[in-house]
Amino acid sequence: MTHSSDETWTVTMVIPEESSLAAAGETHRIEVAEDETILAAGRSAGVWLPADCQQGWCTACAARLRNGEVVHPHARRYYEEDREAGYVLLCTAKPRADTTLVIDQYDDFLEFRAANDKPPGNSKLNS
Amino acid sequence: MADEKQHGSGAVEPGDTSKRVGAEVIRERGVDPEELREKLIDAIGAEFTTYYYYTNLRMHLAGEEDYKEITEDARLEDRAHFELVVPRVYELEGSLPNDIRDFADRASCPDAEVPTPMDDSGDFDTSELEVEDILEVLLEAERCAIRTWSEICDMTRDADPRTYDMAQRILNEEIDHEAWFIELLSKERDDEINPAGHFARGEPGDAPYSTNNRFNDSA
Repeated sequence: MTHSSDETWTVTMVIPEESSLAAAGETHRIEVAEDETILAAGRSAGVWLPADCQQGWCTACAARLRNGEVVHPHARRYYEEDREAGYVLLCTAKPRADTTLVIDQYDDFLEFRAANDKPPGNSKLNS
Repeated sequence: MADEKQHGSGAVEPGDTSKRVGAEVIRERGVDPEELREKLIDAIGAEFTTYYYYTNLRMHLAGEEDYKEITEDARLEDRAHFELVVPRVYELEGSLPNDIRDFADRASCPDAEVPTPMDDSGDFDTSELEVEDILEVLLEAERCAIRTWSEICDMTRDADPRTYDMAQRILNEEIDHEAWFIELLSKERDDEINPAGHFARGEPGDAPYSTNNRFNDSA
């Protein structure tokens, strides 16, 4: 456990081999403060993570929780189904435990949202 | 002249109207034109919804004529951004969604709603609506747009100068808008002087960087 007195957690980011990101196949560990988003911490640490709106809406930053805990206090469009399925929006996600995430899950997340009849799933996939 | 067509080149056969060289040259440079097109639809969806929501936000800045004027500039310029990029979507063999609900659902930025609940009769409950809350909605909408068009600039730089040119023009104006609303919110909420360096547009919604050619005064 690396939870320290100044409220930071270790976030491990697994970037799949098949990702189009420059860091595909790599795993990065960063320290993220309680009030910091994982996206901001990652980019500050030099890991270019995908994102767009950075308000928890567009889903470009979608990731999948492998273990740990995050919260999304300011996400504009994040559903209970997303949380139950372990999807995370990095732009608004803040850790509450040491956490491991699989990055670059946008396409899978769109399918998930569509299957749950939640935007922007069907509006994107049926265009 | 022999059957061979001297002007034919690349992956598009001479006379083939099923493909566009304007799209294939982007693909050849490493950008998927279909992916780019879909991102453009998301981005102009946000411009269009913002234009709509800003109409409402502007209305509710009642009595704040200076704020209304600046919001009007941003509102009309967001519509200009939509107008500027729509043709590019079609050039890239896309189209606008037939259902406006789909267009709004896939918009790349959140709905910029008036920050107050509805009352029992279905009207806005304005009893606790503060000017600073409206200005914060406006500011965050502009920030989202800056991020979106920066992403599109990243995606098109060195690969698609036509889209890049549009995106950087729009980005210029979105950054103007952010500066305006930082100035207004700083003064309204914090009583701080935080100048935008703003001069009035030549006319409301002038869109000095992004306006389409003024070939149609009704647009």
